[in-house]
Amino acid sequence: MRYMTKASLAALALLPLVATAHTVKSPFPGTVTATTNYSSGKFHGAVDISSGRCNYWGAETGVVGSVFWNVTVRTPGVYCNGTGSGTQNEAKHVWESGWTFRQWHFIKTADSYDRTCDRCQVGNEGGTGNASGPHAHLQQDKAGTNDTSWYSGYTTKGEAVDRTETVGVLD
Amino acid sequence: MTRMSSFRMSAWGWLAFALVPLIPLPSVAEGAAAAPVLQGETCSVPGLMDQIRRGLASKSPAYQRYLRALLREAAVTLPGAELQAAFERETDPVMAEHLAAALVARSEREADREAMQVVAKRALEDRDPAVRSATVRAMRRTGALEKTGDLYERLMRDASPEVRMEAATNLVEDNKFVYAGQHGPATDTAVAAAAASSDPKATAKILGTLNTEKLGAEAAGTLQGLLRSDSAEVRRSAALALGGVPAEQMGTAREALVSLYRGERDTGVRKALVQGIAQLGFASAVPELQRLKGIDPGMAPEIDAWIRALETGLQEWELILREKQRLQQAP
Ligand SMILES: [Zn+2]
Repeated sequence: MRYMTKASLAALALLPLVATAHTVKSPFPGTVTATTNYSSGKFHGAVDISSGRCNYWGAETGVVGSVFWNVTVRTPGVYCNGTGSGTQNEAKHVWESGWTFRQWHFIKTADSYDRTCDRCQVGNEGGTGNASGPHAHLQQDKAGTNDTSWYSGYTTKGEAVDRTETVGVLD
Repeated sequence: MTRMSSFRMSAWGWLAFALVPLIPLPSVAEGAAAAPVLQGETCSVPGLMDQIRRGLASKSPAYQRYLRALLREAAVTLPGAELQAAFERETDPVMAEHLAAALVARSEREADREAMQVVAKRALEDRDPAVRSATVRAMRRTGALEKTGDLYERLMRDASPEVRMEAATNLVEDNKFVYAGQHGPATDTAVAAAAASSDPKATAKILGTLNTEKLGAEAAGTLQGLLRSDSAEVRRSAALALGGVPAEQMGTAREALVSLYRGERDTGVRKALVQGIAQLGFASAVPELQRLKGIDPGMAPEIDAWIRALETGLQEWELILREKQRLQQAP
């Protein structure tokens, strides 16, 4: 049996404690490029993750556990550097509390359709919508207000992440 | 944070490892204390099954949840065919439930989308009602209803009341926790199953708390049909469900509730009808409620409480509901 790190054990031990909470993992391997504020100081209120590779295979819904994903394709085609505000492709889940979790900017693929799944592919890493390069934008919001607490303390700008890395917890 | 190298471990080894109470895991301390020390070989499927079985001897719910979570994570790396064979051979309901949950997880993770069908088939066809119940539970809080056609309608006609109630619980919890009432087809599936049922308790269980804000027109018609059920608990639950329908169905729903009220004898059903009417109209329901007061004087205090709650002008149904309860507790 191979060695298991202390941190991974701690992560596993947390699972039963948060039976109704949902952990969020990175949609693909990359680096966290922005969180609450951009480097300019402008409010962002979300987590951006980029591998730097456009049309990179497999932008996965990062939420652990089975939830329904409403996938909206606003911009078909391969776009890496932005198509204008409001035109991003989106996968979203609305919680019973009325909070909505969104994942933006991916490139449409055959996997871009509505369904329930536990971490499934909904497109490829891309730059549809308001984007200056390929990345995923993970946001939780309600009535126009972004929640910044779900990722605070879990991830920071510059962190290297992969699909097993926890970037936040939704409850 | 450190990356989880554990995902690269052999899944079987990982599972077996999870059963070893070597590390203090606060949330599973009780279960871990009761869990047996790992013995014997764990590399073969039979060896591992033996380990899980011993681990399952722990009665701690926290430990059971922990084991379930581990199974779900490990599921994607398991050999699918071997897992399926082990599930199909397994006759112990508890063990079958865990193996089914692993297959369901493979389907939900899209490692093997068809794995859900194996579980659904057994939920319908196993001879042992305890195994059917267990496999139904394994599909709870997943997207099973999207992948299994008329499975839930068929489960509602199962000979075993336990299976029917487990299936009803799935529909309730899936609509609440997976869809949050926001996916019309899932709501419609629940209504279709409720209508297919010949078990009033199961029907009432499904409809009693169903969020119907995305209900389709056909399912709304089905609900109205259930208002004519011989069972008071079915009529009651259908009335409550009709209270939450989307705007385009509110008119016909209100007419159906009002017309039933006039002929209804059961007090519990009448209360549900009034609640449905109140929810459909908010403050605009007040004149209708005033008219209904004359039909049964015994219902006047109940209707008055609704009228007072609606006249507060509150705009959220949950708040109106709470206000009405408050008014009745402290008259
Ligand atoms: Zn962003």
